[in-house]
Amino acid sequence: MSGKVSRQILLYGIVCLAILLVPVFVEDAFLLNKYARYLIFGMLAIALSLSWGYAGILNLGQATTFGIGSYCMAMFLKLKTVPIHTGSDGLPDFMVWNNVTELPWIWMPFHSMPFALLAGILVPALFAALLGWFMFGGRIAGVYAAIITLAAMVVVNLIIIDQQSYTGGFNGITDLAQFEMAGFTFDAYSASTYYLVAICLTVTLFLALAVSRSKTGLILQAVRDQEERVRFFGYDVALYKTFVFAFSAAIAGLAGMLYTIVMEFASPTFLGVPLSLSIVIWVAVGGRQSLVGAMLGAVLVTGVQGALSESEAFLETWTLVMGGLFVLIVLFMPKGMAGAFEALARRFPKAAPEGGARHATEQAPKSQPHLGGAL
Amino acid sequence: MTPAREQLLALKQVTVAFSGFVAVDRLDFEVASGELRCLIGPNGAGKSTTLDLICGKSRITAGEIAFRGEPIHSFKEFRIARAGIGRKFQVPSVFRELTVRENLEIGCSRDPGVWRNLLRFSGGVDTERLERLAVLVGLEDHLETQAAQLSHGQTQWLEIALILAQDPALILMDEPTAGMTAHETNMTAELFNRLRGKHTLVVVEHDMGFVRDIAETISVMHQGKMLAQGTADEISQDAKVREAYLGSGGIGHA
Repeated sequence: MSGKVSRQILLYGIVCLAILLVPVFVEDAFLLNKYARYLIFGMLAIALSLSWGYAGILNLGQATTFGIGSYCMAMFLKLKTVPIHTGSDGLPDFMVWNNVTELPWIWMPFHSMPFALLAGILVPALFAALLGWFMFGGRIAGVYAAIITLAAMVVVNLIIIDQQSYTGGFNGITDLAQFEMAGFTFDAYSASTYYLVAICLTVTLFLALAVSRSKTGLILQAVRDQEERVRFFGYDVALYKTFVFAFSAAIAGLAGMLYTIVMEFASPTFLGVPLSLSIVIWVAVGGRQSLVGAMLGAVLVTGVQGALSESEAFLETWTLVMGGLFVLIVLFMPKGMAGAFEALARRFPKAAPEGGARHATEQAPKSQPHLGGAL
Repeated sequence: MTPAREQLLALKQVTVAFSGFVAVDRLDFEVASGELRCLIGPNGAGKSTTLDLICGKSRITAGEIAFRGEPIHSFKEFRIARAGIGRKFQVPSVFRELTVRENLEIGCSRDPGVWRNLLRFSGGVDTERLERLAVLVGLEDHLETQAAQLSHGQTQWLEIALILAQDPALILMDEPTAGMTAHETNMTAELFNRLRGKHTLVVVEHDMGFVRDIAETISVMHQGKMLAQGTADEISQDAKVREAYLGSGGIGHA
């Protein structure tokens, strides 16, 4: 048991170390920016893996909390630009265009960095907790819960677009200052921003691992299997589900804040259906019951997507190619790449590190012959 | 039936109607602490429904259910469980994707809070107790086996072990020997005889041989009402009981 856990920690550590070492080999700022974006998607995949893979809550609106986090950071960075993009009285440019004369109260506290950073995590978490308490307290589960998460996202998205004078509407919030913290300036096209994202990803991954390995994580998996049975042991199932839903939202909120730093704007498209469904696909491809699998799934899919869409040969057909790949993976690897890898490691308990699964060796610690369960 | 025993569970005039159909009709049912009570009756008598009402799976229409003197029928299910009532379902219900050990860890639910369980890792539970329970139900060699791979009888035993891990004062068992081989049924009877006195049990059962093996007192339900109560011999002599069972081919196969 403890051997399995230490193997898992080792594997996760190696993956994170590899991610942190990327800027040593890549100097192209444009590439680093792109990779940072992929890592943020990886964080979203971790968030969904927790709620969907562990607790069985399919969240089709994961991008809602991602978007809320993103807007919190954008509001803070916009107010940082006084007076260039805000006018001398500190009013953001789009507000002036919309004839707003006074900074709305909701914007006021975003002058403060600690508030903005906390809000970017806690507002999504509270939003999810409220929605979760309503859903899970009312025993709404499965497809119905998924529909509610989707509907809630559409509502938040519409509100943001509709309240143009406060949110920038369709255009979102643009022309932001660079994020500065502890004497560092995080230029979107620099190694520093990549490191910021990579460190946040590492912390998130290990935090999520701790949750999944705790007894709470075990109970969540039991809820996924047999919700009724868990309830009759005396566990407050609604509270457990609300917790994981809110924790997952907090991760998405953090990812959203980072996304604003990397993209240098916030937009209502961040809370869109396409992104939300993409997250589901990443997690399904990577393996929803494996945090690191889901994360690598996101990085891999968005990476291949990026490469295909930029290549001459697949310029027209890349969506078709991706679609075909997803269908194949879902059909033949119901547990995603992580599940397939574990099955492979189990089949070749001795041979795996040397030859059996070549692609696996780059992740697998050589001294461990058996990796089943480490993902 | 010893008068010295303290009353643990009391159903008073409990009625439940599902869209007009009265499944349980002004039922009075009392169980004393430490008792092993069997609940029998023809199909549709309302036995499983009665267990559902006690553990909160279904809600009563009228009457009162008291546990240790306190009315519990309006409690949420998890509160009823925390008060000390455990339930084994008719269709064995375990966590199939988890190992036997993980299943047992979930059964140990004395501290059910989200926050404290976040800080509790595999080492945090009483491993010795888990292993003792596994030995009790003969699953000590299967601790790392996924529950989905167990046989039907083993799955039934695992669920019984989960309830014992929960350590409730009152255990409700719905047909624990359903689908078991004769050998497995005998071993289950042996297990129940070992639980006697340590836990209070209410067992719904169809297998009369098994009931004879374990029961002190038998309660017979028919059409939502309590028909008779007594020892195995008293029950099998009872004219009303014989009559109730006639339609279903005799008491042995009911």
